[in-house]
Amino acid sequence: MINFDMNLLTAHLSQSISVFAPEIALLVTFIVALFMDVVFKKTRNASGYTVCVGLVVTGILLCTQCGVKDNIFVSMLAVDPFALFFKFLILISSLVVCLMSFFSDELNKDDRKMGEYYSLIAGMTFGMFLLTGATNMIMIYLAIEMMSLTSYVLAGFTKEIKRASEASLKYVIYGSISSGIMVYGMSIMFGASGTMNLVELAGLISAGKVAMMPMIVASLMIIAGFGYKISAVPFHFWTPDIYEGAPVTISAFLAVASKTAGFAGFIRFAQMILTNDPFLDWKIVLAVLAVLTMCIGNLSAIWQNNAKRLMAYSAIAHAGYVLMGMVVMDEVGISSIMIYLFMYAFMTLGAFAVIMLIANKIGSEDLDDYNGIGYKMPVLGAFMVIFLFSLAGCPPTAGFVGKLYIFTALFESGSQWAWLAVIGILNSVVSFYYYAKIMRNMYLRGDANDTVERYSFSSASIALVAIITVPVVLFGIYFGPIVEWANNSVALFFN
Amino acid sequence: MQAIPMEFYLILSGILFTIGVIGVLTRRNAIIIFMSIELMLNSVNLSLVTFSSFMGDAAGEIFVFFVMAVAAAESAVGLAVILALFRKKQTVDVDKINLIKW
Amino acid sequence: MYDLVKFVPLLPLLGFLFLGLLGNKIKNEKIIGSIGCGTVGIAFVLLFSMFWNFIQAPPESAVIVPIYNWITIDDFNIQIAYQVDQLSLLFGMIITGVGFLIHVYSIGYMHGDRSFFRFFSYLNLFIFMMLNLVLANNFLVTFLGWEGVGLCSYLLIGFWYDKKFQGTRLTWTGDAANKAFITNRVGDYGFLIGMFLVFITFGTLEYTSVNQAASNAYMSYYGSGIMTAITIMFFLGCTGKSAQLPLAIWLPDAMAGPTSVSALIHAATMVTSGIFLIARNSVLFALAPDTMTVVLVVGIITAFTAASVGLVQNDLKKVLAYSTVSQLGFMFAALGAGAFTAGVFHVMTHAFFKGLLFLAAGAIIHGMHDEQNIKKMGGLKSYMPKTYFTFLIATFAISGIPFFSGFFSKDEILWSVYANNGILPWAILAISALFTAFYMFRLLYLVFFGKERFNCEHGKPHEAPATMTIPLIILAFLSAFGGFLGIPDVLGSWASESPNLIHNYLSPIFADANRVLHSHAGHSSHSSILELGLMLVSVLLAVFGIYKAKQYYSDPAWTSPRKLVRNYNGIYRMLLSKYKLDEFYFAVVVDTLLNFSKNFLWKIFDVKGIDGVVNGTAKGTLAFADVARKIQSGIVQNYALLMTAGIVAILCIYIFI
Repeated sequence: MINFDMNLLTAHLSQSISVFAPEIALLVTFIVALFMDVVFKKTRNASGYTVCVGLVVTGILLCTQCGVKDNIFVSMLAVDPFALFFKFLILISSLVVCLMSFFSDELNKDDRKMGEYYSLIAGMTFGMFLLTGATNMIMIYLAIEMMSLTSYVLAGFTKEIKRASEASLKYVIYGSISSGIMVYGMSIMFGASGTMNLVELAGLISAGKVAMMPMIVASLMIIAGFGYKISAVPFHFWTPDIYEGAPVTISAFLAVASKTAGFAGFIRFAQMILTNDPFLDWKIVLAVLAVLTMCIGNLSAIWQNNAKRLMAYSAIAHAGYVLMGMVVMDEVGISSIMIYLFMYAFMTLGAFAVIMLIANKIGSEDLDDYNGIGYKMPVLGAFMVIFLFSLAGCPPTAGFVGKLYIFTALFESGSQWAWLAVIGILNSVVSFYYYAKIMRNMYLRGDANDTVERYSFSSASIALVAIITVPVVLFGIYFGPIVEWANNSVALFFN
Repeated sequence: MQAIPMEFYLILSGILFTIGVIGVLTRRNAIIIFMSIELMLNSVNLSLVTFSSFMGDAAGEIFVFFVMAVAAAESAVGLAVILALFRKKQTVDVDKINLIKW
Repeated sequence: MYDLVKFVPLLPLLGFLFLGLLGNKIKNEKIIGSIGCGTVGIAFVLLFSMFWNFIQAPPESAVIVPIYNWITIDDFNIQIAYQVDQLSLLFGMIITGVGFLIHVYSIGYMHGDRSFFRFFSYLNLFIFMMLNLVLANNFLVTFLGWEGVGLCSYLLIGFWYDKKFQGTRLTWTGDAANKAFITNRVGDYGFLIGMFLVFITFGTLEYTSVNQAASNAYMSYYGSGIMTAITIMFFLGCTGKSAQLPLAIWLPDAMAGPTSVSALIHAATMVTSGIFLIARNSVLFALAPDTMTVVLVVGIITAFTAASVGLVQNDLKKVLAYSTVSQLGFMFAALGAGAFTAGVFHVMTHAFFKGLLFLAAGAIIHGMHDEQNIKKMGGLKSYMPKTYFTFLIATFAISGIPFFSGFFSKDEILWSVYANNGILPWAILAISALFTAFYMFRLLYLVFFGKERFNCEHGKPHEAPATMTIPLIILAFLSAFGGFLGIPDVLGSWASESPNLIHNYLSPIFADANRVLHSHAGHSSHSSILELGLMLVSVLLAVFGIYKAKQYYSDPAWTSPRKLVRNYNGIYRMLLSKYKLDEFYFAVVVDTLLNFSKNFLWKIFDVKGIDGVVNGTAKGTLAFADVARKIQSGIVQNYALLMTAGIVAILCIYIFI
């Protein structure tokens, strides 16, 4: 692998760097955003705008990579359509989160300097980009740490709020332990096989050159690391606390982008390593994790009274649905996951955006304070209802389409996973209960008051939520292009 | 001179890791928890270096550098967060940091 | 010509969007009302012209009008398309026709409501969804409509969300809406599973292809497990939407909504979508004799149970709600007996007279200033003559008085149940019909006759405005004469070969199903004397019910009913509490689920909770209560412990097992 021919190496490097352009754009954004904050001391959102522009530029650069399939930096990173799909998804969520942050009262209070905030978002996006393409264990670890370190800071960004600091501390401790366990697993895997490269590792494993015991232990430890990122039970305990304590925007970011990136890395790892692994019965492990994740997530959500915390459990439950797709792990399964995550991103971002705007007005995320609020904000309320229906998986919304594809994938893979699909369907019945609870509080509870005074929202914030609503509704009715995109990406991933 | 067999290093690494995990799980002081996490990461470094030198592959040693860098960053962030919290609560006892629950 | 069907659902959709988005800007009730009514009215005209065309020259097979390709993945292709045939036209006309009248009525009924525009936009949305349900050419589009009407029902039941509501463990109208929605969800998942099974079995979701495939290979499908599974799942969906046992509990509480909603959704249209689903898939049901028996038994039991509960209720709308459940039971009994036409015919007549009864009830409640207790009414005949007159006709129709519409449809059901399933099911249904006649005339006497038991502090009762009475009169006309579309052969044979128009019209739809049924059951012929005799018996039973009601409630002191209550207190209480079904569900299903998630799940995941049990009961109980909710203790070390324990547990399972 290591080639000492200097010319070849430089050629490889320059080739790598040209394909690495979107990530480089993100890094530049990260640094420029920091400087903008120093230069423009008067305007609070200078770096925010910079990051938005940077993300758009990154998006344009990403567009040039359609159909590119390459291994860069000596097989450290893969650039392929599979990664591209997730990069787009992550990019869109980062952009939406940035835009959301402009409207957040909780963040913009007391002349807080927001430079670090936006540049850290760019940094976290960079980490997530790396994770989607990582094909080397060093890269996986570094990408996860890049995401984690930035998110620790972001979770506690409103440091004068006790809950935020507490959430941040819990997150640091929990995250460090999980990544410690994961990296120990990696070291075992390295010791057992002698390589860090997933491609070589896959070859060695399928050739039967790796001992069984270290392989099982190491795989489980690495699964635990990924499980923490995607908040699968029993690695999910941080999720509700951190989502509740962190600023709403960051909860949304963690729930969507971070989880998506985690799944991208996990799928690549599982597809290369686990499917070749003759020892570990990984399908059963994932199926059990999926069942636990769905059930615990949904049933715990029933009793929650804090909107953010409820959404955290809901995010856990959704991770469970996606894990069901991972159990299948063939082309159909992976494309169903991609479709699901795509749909999930918009409805979750939308719900969090509405929660944030409500919190701006009533200063609370408590569901008891939501009584009758639907009539004080008719437009946003209607959007929220759409998001909640979508989260519950009711047709004709995007959420239904996602679930449809996951369940279809399970049924198509044969009858042995039908029981899993049935549990999934039952879970989505349960999930309806707590989403309906929010709607009930919003619309069917409250005082008999003829003169409801309306909350006034800036038209920009309403427009943002409306824009998020469009895909939720549109992809519920017309989702052919997304499905095709996901299918094509997966087809190239497998070949 | 007889070399120390690889198993010894690995067993030491395993013991260190276990001590680290137990430390994290039992100590109440957030700073000591972070020290225990450092212990876990160091055990990882030990095993990586061992594998690397016994197999003659530099990849493990390179990984160690990254792990060390990450560990430093992690503890920097961790200490900053502890400091922020200490200003609010005047304690670093993780048992008392349970405002958010259920 | 049939391409016009595209516009039929489109109009109410546009109405919904327009009213929903701009309604609060238009303050004028007249404009809002005419837009709301207009869209539905034009949709009816379109459907009627198509229907007219259709009966002039019936096409060979159903006309499919594609809208666009919805899902295309390899072999899996779902088109959004509408299907024009006898069944969809008939249902479409009932929905838009009766719907139009109820819209007009609502202009008067909802006059002055602060959310007038919201009401009409919801009503239009409902019509749109309902039309999708019946016009669809495949299961998925029907399912969309199915979910959509559920949503509209939820929104409209809880329309007056801040109003108190009396019900078992329900305090707000919103709770009643929730109950309806959640109960319906149980059925919806039956529909969903049924749909999956259909796709697995037939590889398509289109009605025409599925029915074609099923009837072509009926020898291999007949009585097979997969057919039974599919149909049972669909029937579960029907029990939810059409309020049959065991999911019937939501409909009486759905009366929390405005009365015109009860008339439209919970009497005339939405609750009959279960009948539609079975009629649409008559071949599949005919291929599953076991399911047919289940449908028959459930229908009969529901008809009887609901009718018996209706005997003692004192809330005007509750009586009508139980009556609806009971009548729906009649329809399912007809379907279960294989008499699909009779079931559909009863849907139509029921839409007329039950819609009318609810609207008249609305007029009464309106005139009585929101009083619903029939014990506090009486003597209203002189105050509201038009309402009285129309109510009387509807009561005749539902009681099965000869030559009113209900007589024909109900009698056809009774006869076909007897002809296919013998005397016992017939007898139970006949007794339910007797109950029906009794409680309807009890209602009539308590409301319109006798002494005036209301106080006039809000002013005297008054007749409803013209926007309300005109729909009443039109519906009264239909209730009186609508039955002549389905004159049974035995009564009309002197006039023509086949006097039963509705039967002639619908027979192509059910031809396949009837072929399957007859090839297996053998056609038994009964004499027309017997048919006439049974008809006479059922009429006599109805007259007996009316006589008893008159005898009991003409007496202002209600001596005999009071004596009955005293003598049979147990039965009375059981009926009054609706057989304790609500309490049963709350205790067995809802509480169990809630307690499970609240106590068990939180407890089992909490290490301290488990410790508490070990350490001793007294201390343990306290600790339990204290830590019951603490799966998330808030302490990060516990989380880490649980995570590590999780990894170790999976590892141990692998190493040791």
